Amino acid sequence: MGENGIQKWVFYIPVIFFVLFFAAPIVLTIVFSFFERTQFWMEPGFTLFAYENFFTSARAENYVFSMLHSAAAVVVSFIIGFPIAVFVRRRVAKAAQHRVILLFILPFMISELVRVFAMRPVLGRNGVVNNFLIDIGIINEPITVILFSPLGVVIGDVMSFLPFMIFAGFLAMEAVQNYVFEVCDDLGAGPVSLFGDIIVPLAAPGIFAGSVFIFVNSMGVALVPTLLGGPGAVNAGLIANQAIVALDFPLAMAISTIMILTLVLLLYIGHRLFDLTKVLEPIS
Amino acid sequence: MYDNFANPWTIRLKWAYLLTVVLALLSPVMYTVYISFNEHGFGARIYDFTFDWYRIVLGDKLLVASLEWTLYLAVTAVAITIPMALLSAKFYKRSRRKVAFVALMLSPLFVPADIMGSSLLVFFKNLAGAFTWLGETLGVGWFEGWFDLGFLTAMIGQIIYTHPYAFIVILITMSRYRGQQTEAARACGATAWQAFWQVEFPQIRVGVLSSCAFVTILSFNEAVRTGLLKGGFDTFSNVLVAQMLNIGMSGESYAMAGIMSIVSVVVIGSILVITLLRSEHLSRKARAMAEPMMSS
Repeated sequence: MGENGIQKWVFYIPVIFFVLFFAAPIVLTIVFSFFERTQFWMEPGFTLFAYENFFTSARAENYVFSMLHSAAAVVVSFIIGFPIAVFVRRRVAKAAQHRVILLFILPFMISELVRVFAMRPVLGRNGVVNNFLIDIGIINEPITVILFSPLGVVIGDVMSFLPFMIFAGFLAMEAVQNYVFEVCDDLGAGPVSLFGDIIVPLAAPGIFAGSVFIFVNSMGVALVPTLLGGPGAVNAGLIANQAIVALDFPLAMAISTIMILTLVLLLYIGHRLFDLTKVLEPIS
Repeated sequence: MYDNFANPWTIRLKWAYLLTVVLALLSPVMYTVYISFNEHGFGARIYDFTFDWYRIVLGDKLLVASLEWTLYLAVTAVAITIPMALLSAKFYKRSRRKVAFVALMLSPLFVPADIMGSSLLVFFKNLAGAFTWLGETLGVGWFEGWFDLGFLTAMIGQIIYTHPYAFIVILITMSRYRGQQTEAARACGATAWQAFWQVEFPQIRVGVLSSCAFVTILSFNEAVRTGLLKGGFDTFSNVLVAQMLNIGMSGESYAMAGIMSIVSVVVIGSILVITLLRSEHLSRKARAMAEPMMSS
């Protein structure tokens, strides 16, 4: 490109920044998780106490429960969101596809804090949902299971992260060429076999990327169980926060490490199964 | 992939479903904004429209100060993140190790806010300690206060958070740009900067402006990382979180949520409208310039 030394190095600024302030803190999180706890901080050493503390307490059980809630959020998001991505790719004129997908940017760009907070007046005892159901005579008493409960957490996660399944699914559908549908139509494939045998396998890298995003964020964003889960509702992010409030920094780092390892493992499995680099092909 | 032979009622039903999902995602926020204009707050049987809650929020010096800090952070985040995202996108185009590079740039998307915030908090506290030790060892006071929790650390947290979004938007816009144009400009004697600024930038301007809007809104709305890394000042969303957890949902909380929603809708809505109008204009221009269809 004919650039001199300084110009060339300018392009490395983002890499240096991300290595210093993203990769290094993540690696050091793993290192700090083996440090010894002091009264207000921690000191260098090698101990598995934080991990022992995590795995032998209710925290491990809560972590597993938050994995189940997150998996439920992924499944619901897929069921609601992926058909939209397929519909936009298959039935909307090419020139209008991006405009339709842009419709989902707006709810996604409103503060997650506000979106989660806004669920309380909607799902509460005197909220919109209960008032509506009572008014039309479907129920006599307000439903209490939809707020301050595990179901409330799943609803909050779906409302927070659903657009990501639609964006990832839309990108993934780029891999399903038009002629595939024509061949399926010619062979008389039904909608179920077309969806299960053709669309899902071909769009798998994008579906997986969207699912991992939703799964990991449902596990790690403490706001949702804090505002919608009620007493006792926790996820990995909230457990880490509680450890920091209790000044148990090695424990917070151990929980973060377990979360990061869960993420890395998921991405590794996904990459081996589906080659996640295919998701980037449309923008390469 | 448009199918002209599909049942029109099935198509209409699918459109209805799509719009219902958009509405379902937006309706809780719209309801919150609706309540924020009720003099009697949430749960009241009567609705009297008022701006009073907004007046209270905007008349509160602490809240206005938090709003100012939020704006400083947003402006700084835009000023740093956008050039970095541009550099990243250009680096990606020429990089031979695309997968490793893009993995590094996009990984923050997959690390939840609380986990990233906790990691950075402990990292910065250690870094600040290391600089203090270095200053004491060298006998100079210059390193005192480096990376203490404050504006700088909050800003770094926000850049790590917002950069992947800006990077993706700019990269998508750049994917339509042909590198041969830069080579042609360079062959005609333009410097690297001139080739970028006069040839490439006008073609990716929409993506850059959209990224600016996204980064502004993401920064404005961010609460978790900033809450952990901000040190002694408060941002608007941090005050809202504190109010919700400590006081509960008051009329003021609804008004604050209303302000955040209205700002997001106005900024992103404007960008969407501009993008749609521009794409309409471009497609009309393309149709006008296309070869006329000849009948056989």
